[in-house]
Amino acid sequence: MMHELAVTQEILSIVLAEAESNGAKRINKVRVKVGEMTAVVGDCVCFYFDIISRGTIAEGAEVEIENIPIEARCSACGKVYRASELDFLCPFCGGIGNLISGKELLVERIEIDQLGEGSGSKDP
Amino acid sequence: MEVKILRDVLATNEAIAKENERLFGEKKIFVLNLMASPGAGKTSFILRTIEGLRDDFKMAVVEGDIVSKVDAERIREQGVPAVQINTGGACHLDANMIKNSLALLDLDEIDFLIIENVGNLVCPAEFNLGETLRVMILSVPEGDDKPLKYPLMFTESHVLIVNKIDLLNQTDFDLERFKNVVRRLNSDMKVFELSCKSGEGVEDWIDWFKTRLISFRT
Ligand SMILES: Nc1nc2c(ncn2[C@@H]2O[C@H](COP(=O)(O)OP(=O)(O)O)[C@@H](O)[C@H]2O)c(=O)[nH]1
Ligand SMILES: [Mg+2]
Ligand SMILES: [Zn+2]
Repeated sequence: MMHELAVTQEILSIVLAEAESNGAKRINKVRVKVGEMTAVVGDCVCFYFDIISRGTIAEGAEVEIENIPIEARCSACGKVYRASELDFLCPFCGGIGNLISGKELLVERIEIDQLGEGSGSKDP
Repeated sequence: MEVKILRDVLATNEAIAKENERLFGEKKIFVLNLMASPGAGKTSFILRTIEGLRDDFKMAVVEGDIVSKVDAERIREQGVPAVQINTGGACHLDANMIKNSLALLDLDEIDFLIIENVGNLVCPAEFNLGETLRVMILSVPEGDDKPLKYPLMFTESHVLIVNKIDLLNQTDFDLERFKNVVRRLNSDMKVFELSCKSGEGVEDWIDWFKTRLISFRT
């Protein structure tokens, strides 16, 4: 789907800029946090990343997606609970819940090899 | 080596949206981002809104729906400036597309701007455009189970238009159950039930929007 392509392009450009400013010659891993409220399908991101990273230092990097559950805090009793996509109401008192997580779309961190460094710690 | 980044993927879009917002603020333009599935009645709703407010306000439309190129034409026929955005097949409008389209409008001649987003209930909710108000339309034939499938659209919108209520008795759409679910997701959402075809309920929307526009002006 087009949506994940746009999102993945943005992820790639963030990752490449960070890698460059850290003197990377290769990106091995990319970790992304995706809230369950977002419409972003992790598998699509991985699929597109494989394709659009070709010819860059991120080619072949593993993309790891961490899904963030939907959580809400009750505006009446203050309890925090796991909410469903269909219902944010508090399961304890029926109060109105305010979303506190689940909308994230973050590049969390990358693992890189720096220039002048071997392609892994196993190198002699 | 590990590098911590913690950057919002949508940060670039958010930054441009903020620029748009600043510009709209300067020019005192109220901006409505209209989102719905294809065929839900976005263009019909815009035409009804033009009809109801044309005597009191100057308006313009940014047309992002890729399905029908005639939409911009239908709006221009009403004497309202309309810009057609070429989305290049994207499933949503982003802040940069809006920024570029603004160059084609005389911003000093506009009280409010309606943006017809791409027909899609999934993606547009994630892309801030710098708008003042997010309005979504759900039409009766789409069924009352949509909040389950597209919760973000329901939590991000300020106003929900239930369109095509003239078809209520021809479907099993349960309006009360639907509104109940919506309330549980977004208790602040303002809901209007109307028919762009018959005009039923349109006046309530126009009155409410007019009040918003007037308080925005002052
Ligand atoms: N029955 C009925 N049809 C409507 C209503 N509003 C719009 N339509 C029809 O729905 C179709 C799609 O409308 P349009 O405004 O182009 O939808 P858009 O794709 O969301 O812009 C058109 O054939 C309209 O005439 C309504 O309130 N009732
Ligand atoms: Mg349309
Ligand atoms: Zn509670």
